[in-house]
Amino acid sequence: MATSIARFSRKTLTPTLIRRFSTSSAALATNPDPPKPKLTPSPSPNRANWDYRGQRQIIPLGQWLPKVAVDAYVAPNVVLAGQVTVWDGSSVWNGAVLRGDLNKITLGFCSNVQERCVVHAAWASPTGLPAETLIDRYVTVGAYSLLRSCTIEPECIIGQHSILMEGSLVETRSILEAGSVLPPGRRIPSGELWGGNPARFIRTLTNEETLEIPKLAVAINHLSGDHFSEFLPYSTVYLEVEKFKKSLGIHV
Amino acid sequence: MSSMGRALYSVGFWIRETGQALDRLGCRLQGKNHFREQLSRHRTLMNVFDKSPIVDKDAFVAPSASIIGNVNVGPGSSIWYGCVLRGDANSISVGAGTNIQDNTLVHVAKSNLSGKVLPTLIGDNVTVGNSAVLHGCTVDDEAYIGPSATVLDGAHVEKHAIVDSGALVRQNTRIPSGEVWGGNPARFLRKVTEEERAFFSSSAVDYSKLAQVHAAENAKSLDETDFKKLLYKKNARDAEYDSLFSENLPKAA
Repeated sequence: MATSIARFSRKTLTPTLIRRFSTSSAALATNPDPPKPKLTPSPSPNRANWDYRGQRQIIPLGQWLPKVAVDAYVAPNVVLAGQVTVWDGSSVWNGAVLRGDLNKITLGFCSNVQERCVVHAAWASPTGLPAETLIDRYVTVGAYSLLRSCTIEPECIIGQHSILMEGSLVETRSILEAGSVLPPGRRIPSGELWGGNPARFIRTLTNEETLEIPKLAVAINHLSGDHFSEFLPYSTVYLEVEKFKKSLGIHV
Repeated sequence: MSSMGRALYSVGFWIRETGQALDRLGCRLQGKNHFREQLSRHRTLMNVFDKSPIVDKDAFVAPSASIIGNVNVGPGSSIWYGCVLRGDANSISVGAGTNIQDNTLVHVAKSNLSGKVLPTLIGDNVTVGNSAVLHGCTVDDEAYIGPSATVLDGAHVEKHAIVDSGALVRQNTRIPSGEVWGGNPARFLRKVTEEERAFFSSSAVDYSKLAQVHAAENAKSLDETDFKKLLYKKNARDAEYDSLFSENLPKAA
């Protein structure tokens, strides 16, 4: 019943939309400055405006299925697509997108990818390094970063909003400051602090700072345990779906 | 023997009812801190009163993207995961074959320092990199906006221009055709080489093909995804072995 009402309302709405779009394209034709849309979009009447399932977290592509370890915390609005492996103790926080459709993405033991990061792997890398994105153990990747076909060796900290382009290598026990941009093929030597756009050497890390790096990863691991325990092993959304269907008169 | 099956079925049913009652008891014990899961209210295409998006049926829109308000998306384009295209104050128009990669924001300004409110116009075959921010700007056909770039109000990125990754293109900047601009604030770096020009037009095509793969996967119904999960469980194979067979995917950067 709900679907038929939706179909009827969509049928009455689309003529008004088409009329509005044709008047706007006429206005664009008289104005030479902005580029005219060459092909008029044909809206599909069956395009779903709302799917109660939302976005699936794990998206298999072809024969690849993203693998998440049993004690890894992956937030519900994360998208793992293609060849992604999230190893034990690691966490992927809200809004991150790990798109392993062209190449492999590995998130090592006790590492974390924080909020809204995008981790992608290109098909081929300009340097000789493998084009997969490998984030090794005890690595903290700060919020809103962009990692593309890079290799991050064990025990590093990547600052927030940093951009690591294809083929870059961050060696063990180094820290990247927030907002740093690594051009393609850049190598950060071991035990140093780099930052800026493009990333430049700032100073070497002291021994105490180097010891703090895995402690930060473990601390975030504990925090992710708190978040993980907020979720039941299996979702109870099916109760809501049954209630919803009953209220619409659909046979459960 | 059917009575045995019936008995087992009803015992199973009692256990499930008990489980649901225990779940309700647990929620009561948790008091006001208890959490009840809700259906996802995220709407991929959302209209603000009468401004509703017109998205071509051949365009791939990821389910976690948000296309709100006055937005036109042309055929063959792809809007990837986590994007927000908010055309509430003014209009956004995305051409054909364009890909707006993951986590980008395309906004239009309502108020502006100069007072002008401009629509965002993105041409055909444009590649907008991951996590970019496009705000009230015009991007002509076959341009390339690098990952994490920010293009502010009134900026005009002309045909075949490249905005480098992490760049901040300030208000009303014009990036002429065939030039690479980068840095914060964006300044002229160098000219676009011939192979880069060819690469970017082919990458737009490759991204469209990749988008079809993702579109097919995301459009699967619950039955299809469950069936696929069952298949994976049955043929549990080594991931390394599986990653060798990837000839079918197109090359894209």
